[in-house]
Amino acid sequence: MLNCRLPAHWALGVGCWALGVEAMEPLSTISYQPSAARRFPWRIVDVIVAGIFIYAGAIKTLDPVQFASDIDNYKIVPWPVSVVLAFYLPWLEIFCGFALVVRLLYRGALSISTALILVFTLATVAAKVRGLDITCGCFGHASQHWSFPAHLATNLGILAALLALWVSNRSAKPL
Amino acid sequence: MTSSLVRQALILAALALLPGVGEAIYFRHKISWQSPIPPSELVTVAQAHVWGENVIWVDARPDEEFARDHVPGALSLNEDRWNELLPQFLAVWSPGRKIVVYCSSLSCNASREIPDVFVLEGGWEAWLKQNR
Repeated sequence: MLNCRLPAHWALGVGCWALGVEAMEPLSTISYQPSAARRFPWRIVDVIVAGIFIYAGAIKTLDPVQFASDIDNYKIVPWPVSVVLAFYLPWLEIFCGFALVVRLLYRGALSISTALILVFTLATVAAKVRGLDITCGCFGHASQHWSFPAHLATNLGILAALLALWVSNRSAKPL
Repeated sequence: MTSSLVRQALILAALALLPGVGEAIYFRHKISWQSPIPPSELVTVAQAHVWGENVIWVDARPDEEFARDHVPGALSLNEDRWNELLPQFLAVWSPGRKIVVYCSSLSCNASREIPDVFVLEGGWEAWLKQNR
């Protein structure tokens, strides 16, 4: 792990910048780190949420053509945008998942994951309100026959877990 | 803290861009950027003419547009009168015959996931351009 309290060197500076820690940060300003035992249950939540994002992303990278069709079915964005999202979003989910597991760029990963799940949930509700018959595409073929309540419950469950992780990290040192 | 959060999010967003672009290059021949219909399911007017008598032309436009003009020998089959029109289509269809569906534009999406069904590239306008 980078020690951002060492005298600044350009490479160290870049690394610390990426992690969101100021180089030469005085010891006294570093916030209190909760004990490993207290963090353990939240690490489990981290890993579960990360696993869901990595699985959902990985399964969609295998068939981006199908995922582009699934996005197009929501009738929110034009087809070329659906294609761009189909190539990009699964990798974003995978990177966020890994960032949550290894706790690197952790808050960035939490914020993107929360934004993604909010957008997915709103899109699902909007599709339902507009009477669209959609395949969510969230987990590839595995979610092909999911009902609207099952789809919504899954999204809300993940959202609740992410919000819990936000709360649990408020007092932790940012990595 | 907010700036570090934004910075981390931007780094993740940029990192995800790299494999995304790689995958887009890898799948470039399997997906069309213009239409949800994959290139393998599109047929040009010239290609459809080469198939000759083995083709059933299906006009998926509304009844009024079909009545105004259509490809000679084409059958009307649209969503508005699907149940009424389907029997006349089934009467002429046989396995192995290719079906070319055309709409007013490229947005025709009726053929998905059925073998030997193709969408006419450019739709009715493309046929008119080459035949009138």
